[in-house]
Amino acid sequence: MNVTEANSVVLRKLLIFTVIMFGFGFALVPFYEKICEVTGLNNLLQADTLTENTQVDTARWVTVELDANTHGLPWQFKPLQSSVRVHPGELTQVVYEVRNNSDREINGQAIPSYSPQLLGKYLKKLECFCFSKQVLKPREVRQMPVQFLIEPGLPDDINTVTISYTFFELGNDNTVSLDISASQL
Amino acid sequence: MAAVHDHDIAHAHDHHPTGLMRWLTSTNHKDIGTMYLWFSFIMFLTGGVMALTIRAELFQPGLQIVNPEFFNQLTTMHGLVMIFGAIMPAFVGFANWQVPMMIGAPDMAFARMNNWSFWLLPPAALLLLGSFFAPGGAPAGGWTIYPPLSVQMGMGMDMAIFAIHILGASSIMGSINIITTILNMRAPGMTLMKMPMFVWTWLITAYLLVLVMPVLAGAVTMLLTDRNFGTNFFNAAGGGDPVMFQHIFWFFGHPEVYIMILPAFGIVSEIIPTFSRKPLFGYSSMVYATASIAILSCIVWAHHMFTAGMPVTGQLFFMYATMLIAVPTGVKVFNWTATMWRGSMSFETPMLFAIGFIFLFTLGGFSGVVCAIVPIDIQVQDTYYVIAHFHYVLVSGALFAIFGGAYYWLPKWTGHMYDETLGKWHFWLSMFFFNLAFFVQHFLGLAGMPRRIPDYALQFADFNMISTIGAFGFGLSQLLFLYVVLKCIRGGAKSPAKSWEGATSLEWTLPSPPPYHSFETPPVIR
Amino acid sequence: MKDDNKQPPKGTWLQIAKAVFWAFFGVRKQSDLDSDASSLTPAQVIIGGLIGAALFVMSLIIVVKIVT
Repeated sequence: MNVTEANSVVLRKLLIFTVIMFGFGFALVPFYEKICEVTGLNNLLQADTLTENTQVDTARWVTVELDANTHGLPWQFKPLQSSVRVHPGELTQVVYEVRNNSDREINGQAIPSYSPQLLGKYLKKLECFCFSKQVLKPREVRQMPVQFLIEPGLPDDINTVTISYTFFELGNDNTVSLDISASQL
Repeated sequence: MAAVHDHDIAHAHDHHPTGLMRWLTSTNHKDIGTMYLWFSFIMFLTGGVMALTIRAELFQPGLQIVNPEFFNQLTTMHGLVMIFGAIMPAFVGFANWQVPMMIGAPDMAFARMNNWSFWLLPPAALLLLGSFFAPGGAPAGGWTIYPPLSVQMGMGMDMAIFAIHILGASSIMGSINIITTILNMRAPGMTLMKMPMFVWTWLITAYLLVLVMPVLAGAVTMLLTDRNFGTNFFNAAGGGDPVMFQHIFWFFGHPEVYIMILPAFGIVSEIIPTFSRKPLFGYSSMVYATASIAILSCIVWAHHMFTAGMPVTGQLFFMYATMLIAVPTGVKVFNWTATMWRGSMSFETPMLFAIGFIFLFTLGGFSGVVCAIVPIDIQVQDTYYVIAHFHYVLVSGALFAIFGGAYYWLPKWTGHMYDETLGKWHFWLSMFFFNLAFFVQHFLGLAGMPRRIPDYALQFADFNMISTIGAFGFGLSQLLFLYVVLKCIRGGAKSPAKSWEGATSLEWTLPSPPPYHSFETPPVIR
Repeated sequence: MKDDNKQPPKGTWLQIAKAVFWAFFGVRKQSDLDSDASSLTPAQVIIGGLIGAALFVMSLIIVVKIVT
């Protein structure tokens, strides 16, 4: 085998390797999602299930503040009560109301956010409008429940927590059109 | 390592084009190496002007020179230009010049692809710099182009993404060329374990490049489709995850920092033995340590993301793995020191830069170990401490090694000795002003000054002023380097074939400057 | 071009393991290196290196599990 042939063999191997690594970059996406699923790190769109009967800690009160935001879509979005007091372990239902102020049908997706961050670990949601996209007809008003409980394991020094939802607009092809021009940034 | 070879005589039948066409069409590794080096120097000055604008704005609290939007574009572009435009092409330039001459090959394995991989760079650079003139300006979300900011920006971001694609393709082609050259084109008798350290480090670097560059290309492609074609890889609202970008990016990004330092290790491992007049201490250890660093570099990426949200087990894993990388790196530092031990040392400019490298790179390495400790990292994340850390490893690490290498091989490349006095001035000015500019940034970071901000609280004013003075001094000192190089190209004392008394590798058996086509008959290594 | 590895590889698993271990530490004796270079094939070293990396990762994970 002369040098030119040997060189093209190496070239071919390395090119194949490059293509594989390019594919590997994309393969990291399902891999990442799988890891998140297995470790339970990022299940925003799935309802939690209660495995055992949780004991209600009636001696303790936690104030849950409810917050609502919209991001770039003409909806009015608010909780019906701004906060609730709950016992850890107690199943609670709160209701959010959303109103489409525009004359077109809009798909929206709510993304939750918790404060303190730690709450994510102890908050179990059995039902939430954030598990699926919401389609609102022009001028439609909708009331949507969130059913949750806070596990009694929540550290003792936390007495007030905040659950916040932000609605993003989904395009017809499920894309978010974040209408922010660079000049606004 | 001695070599016997036929002296290459200029070929009478050699009709290579002259003028501009020579450079456009050149497939000669020396021409292409020269172009790489000049390209990277131009990009170095471009990124340097951005850095000085940043520092000028930070000279005093308040907004004086640029508005915050443009400031953010400058910090982002300074990073991209310096990493992809200056440091990486400079090392490829060294590889082009030196690898064939050091292993006794006539040229690179794929000469035409070599030309192509260089000429991809100028269009990519124009695209990257052109993003300043796009509506909305250049990317402004930091060089790491994290979503969601990078998904929201104007079309300047698209231009930067394409530029990264092209630069990545260029790097991959360059690496394939270098790997093939090293594996297949060595002169008879040049076994892998006889190769100079610089060739070894580049072989490993090139493997790292083909390993991770395609992953970066994939990551920015996902950004591109998220921006323009309605996919939702990184869009939380559409079921994606912005943190996933950080994982994919740093899977590329961490090996990338070793891509930028391993060739520097190689250059220093050539310079230190030459001016200590002793063979490199622990050559085999150096090879093994380089390989070890390369492998470990692939499993520590998430230490860039300790504050992004990670289970404590993940934090501990990446903290331990990161701290263990310091072991092979430490082995290298000890080997260089042991090489100098009882050597008959002399302190010409390349040696000064190499010693400066060891000293300051070790400092940067230590601040890296400090940043690896999770509780401290959570404190100093996104502060000037991190800025100080990576400028110590990239400027006084990679860049000092590039300067050292340039001085070391300039007599070989040009046939003239450079001006030793001016070279020493360049070193001492760089050394002084570099530390003036960046040492105080450690204090700024520990005191809590965040990075990537155009304005800051009053208590940071004094250190920022010192840092700016240092930065301008450092920047202006580099013009001296330009002058020394130009003067050396135009003339000066003739350099013998072996420009340095203690030099041993194969390129010093060629006359200075080497003939346009060298080692057409392979040398025999005894 | 290089066909000088015609003789069958003599590297034993122990030798590969030793070479990989010292490679991770970054220190290797010159004499050991010479014997590695003559008896180990690149494929052996690469596979050994990957196994070594996997073992390294697993041992770190075990350490992390112990301390948390």
